[in-house]
Formats: sequence, structure tokens, C-alpha cells
Amino acid sequence: MIDIVHITVPWWQVALLLMLGPAVLAGAVAGLRRLARARVTAGEAPDWSVPPLAAEGGDTLLHRWDVRCKIVTILAYSFMLAALSRPQPAVAAIGISLLVLVAARASAARVLIRLLAIAGFIGMFLVVMPFTVPERNGDTLIVFNQIPWLGFNLRGLGLAGTIAAKAVAITLLMEPLLATAPLPVTLHGLSRLGAPEMVGQMVLLSHRYLHVFRHEARRMADGMQVRGFRKRTDLVTLRAVANFLGMLFVRSFERTERVFDAMRARGYKGRFPEPAEPRLKPGDLLFAGLWLLAGLTLLVWDRMPS
Amino acid sequence: MHISDGVLPLSVTIGGYAASAALTAWSARRTRTEEMPKLAVMTAAFFVASLISLPLGPTSVHLLIPGLTGALLGPSAFLSIGLGLLLQSLLFQFGGLTALGANALMMGLPAMACGWFFQRFKGTTRRRQTIVGSLAGAAGTVLSAIVLAVLLATGGEDFFGVAKLALAAHVPVIVIEGAVSGLTIGFLAKVKPALLQR
Repeated sequence: MIDIVHITVPWWQVALLLMLGPAVLAGAVAGLRRLARARVTAGEAPDWSVPPLAAEGGDTLLHRWDVRCKIVTILAYSFMLAALSRPQPAVAAIGISLLVLVAARASAARVLIRLLAIAGFIGMFLVVMPFTVPERNGDTLIVFNQIPWLGFNLRGLGLAGTIAAKAVAITLLMEPLLATAPLPVTLHGLSRLGAPEMVGQMVLLSHRYLHVFRHEARRMADGMQVRGFRKRTDLVTLRAVANFLGMLFVRSFERTERVFDAMRARGYKGRFPEPAEPRLKPGDLLFAGLWLLAGLTLLVWDRMPS
Repeated sequence: MHISDGVLPLSVTIGGYAASAALTAWSARRTRTEEMPKLAVMTAAFFVASLISLPLGPTSVHLLIPGLTGALLGPSAFLSIGLGLLLQSLLFQFGGLTALGANALMMGLPAMACGWFFQRFKGTTRRRQTIVGSLAGAAGTVLSAIVLAVLLATGGEDFFGVAKLALAAHVPVIVIEGAVSGLTIGFLAKVKPALLQR
């Protein structure tokens, strides 16, 4: 016996339903973007060639937390969250992440930008999954008269909602993970945990030069614009962009050689000096334990038969 | 398109981490230690290149350029792409913490394959390099899309619809990626051919 609940609604509601999701999402994204932009431009114009290496000072629990504990705990906790499969624990996880954000006094604008970055991908799941999930026993299906082949499956919506909640919960933790210590300290924590030292150094170098090249790319783009170049969907644009990229690589490569020579001239022998000797306190471990316990609780709740 | 957190099953995320760690280690061994700072700076350039958006009808697309990265960096490309993904999480871009390994596979495997393809068939004339370069660029996008769809489909039957859509979304990008990669390589062949020798 097939046990699928069908709810039939007039066909025009499918149009409404199809429009509603993207409309809400687009509205939310537009609002978030405006908010984020307002927060960012409130200060003076950012100088892209100088990366914000040091986190703005802060003296919260997360700033004082040992960096190795922080990396291990948040990484392990994120994997626990990724393993959740029911909506209730996933939504509870967002609550925990928000608490952490408040505790870390994270910048709202930067958190918003991170959320914006995943909005498109997650939005695709929310729009597509309800219509494409195969029908199973116990599903509730909203079907539209006159369009029998199109069914809006509530199980699919639930599944996509769970995915979205998990993604948001983990994304919210990125700011407490990365912005509560200066980047070199975080990277040294990583290498003290066993990652090759070269990795940290390469991230530092890339991060530094990324801002330089972005600045340079912007200058080149400004020059093109001043000369009347506008991007269109045609071959001329493709050729111009290809030349632009090629020029960027040539300039970058030549700079690479000079940077490396300069580093060696200053005595670079494959490592940078360590910022500070980290010392593990019992409180650090306690906090890590408590946090992981919260993650385990979520997991157990998730796996409990409802 | 990158995979975000919470989408893939746990076993796939962990498997992705393990596989990309092994490939990164291999890639690092193929890169000389004293070349690594250079690679880091080149990675920054590729990262900036991937921020450039191109108009496509009413919308715009970002370039992924896995093929171009592979063609210019050879076996070091995997290391460079892993680095680029770490940078993305530092710079508020897309990409999840738990999906890092899977994303590295999605970009890195096509880059390696296309790099090999380009070096094998590039020939010596500029015209041929342009054509082989655009083939490598297009193939890189096709392979990325396939890896993405396969990874999404590991979630089970429920994810097939999304996987198909993700695959379809890459189709218009293939032409653009191929054209830009080929023309960029043509430009480099004229201006600085040393960059194409690996």
C-alpha cells in the first residue's frame, strides 16, 4: 500500500509557490547586502593593498582561548553538525552558533557577508529539492490540479531546510574561528597541531599578495574602463578579459621573482619567526570539552528515535 | 560553484579530506621547497583572477579557471588550489569548512588532468597552444561539473535533482571558460612564453 498524502490545490498556487521562495530569498539577500554594505562603508574607504592581518582587539573568552584548542574544537564540532540529519537539532545548532557569535563580539557585517556567500547555493537546494525528491511512503505531497506531474514534496522541503540550517550554523562559526586571533597566530596554531609549517607560510604570503594583486587588478580595470571598455556578452569582451588575465599573470610572475629575491636577501631560510609561545591552561581544555559535549548532545538528540 | 557545509554525507566529507590531503602531499613533493613561496604568490594571482566576473546575458558568471591553473602550474596546481580554498574561507568567500576536502577534489582533479593534457599536446606554435589551451579550459569546467554532480549524488536519490541542475548550470560556462583560457594562453605565448614551459 502506498501511503502518500496528496493535497490538491489550484494550479495558480504553483506559480505563487514557485515565485514565493526566490522572491523571499532575493529580498533577504538584497536586504542583507545593503546592510552589509552600509556597515562596511561606514568607516573610511578600505585600502585593499594592506590586508587586515591583526584582528581588531578584543578580549572575550574566544579571544583568550588557546588557538590550538579553538581550531580543534570548532573543526570537530563542525563535523558533528554536518552529521545531523533532523531539522530540530540543526535549528538548535544555529542557536548555539549565535550564542558563540555574541560571546565573541563578532562583527555583524562580516558575518552577513559570509552568509551572503552561501545564499545562492543553499537557495538552489530550497527551490529545487521539494520538486525533485522521489516520493516515498509517508510523504506529504502538494499537487496542483491540471499539472499532475509537478508535486511539491514537503519531505524535500524539510531536507533542504535541514541542509540550510546546518550550513548556516557552521558558517556562523567561521568568524569566531578566524577573526578572534591575528592570522599569523592562527596559522602557527595550525602548524603546532601538526600541519606542515610551509602551509602556514604559504597562506600568509598568498594572503598578503592577494591584496596587492587585487589592488593592481582594480587599477587595470579602471584603466580599461577609462578607455571605454564595457563588459558585454561577446567575443571582444572575452578577448579583452583574456588579455587582462594574461597581463595579470605576467605582472604577478615578475613580482613573484622580485619578492622571493627580496625575502632571501633578508635572510629567509624557510621559516618566519613565531609570534608567541602558546601556553595551554586547564580552562582552555575545559571550554573545549564543554563545547564538544554540546555537539555530542545535539548528535544524540538527532539520532534518538522520535 | 562550490559545495557548502551540511550538504554532503559525513563519510564523503571525511573521505574528501583524506584524498585531498594525500594529493596535496604528492603535489607538494613535486614542488621544490624553494619554489613554494613563489607558488604562494602565484596562487594569489589566480585567486584574484577567479574574482573577475563576466556578463552572460542577463546574469554574470565567475571564472573558475581550473584548466588554466593546471596548464600554468602543472603538478603544483593541486597545492595551489588547496591554498586558494583556504584563502576563500579567510576572505568571506564561498566554501565550507567541512566541505574543504571535497571542494579541493572538485577543482584540483580537473586542474591536474587539464595540466597534463595541455603539456602533452601543446606543441610549439602559438595557434596550437591557443586551441589546446581552450580545450583544456573547457575540459576543466566539464570535469569540475561532473565531480560536483557525483559528490552531490552521494547523498542518495534525494539529491539527484540538485545534482542534475548543478551539472546543467555549468553548460553555458563551459564555452566562456574555454574561450578565456585559450585566449589567455595565446596572450601568454606571445608575451611571456616562459610561463607555459613546465
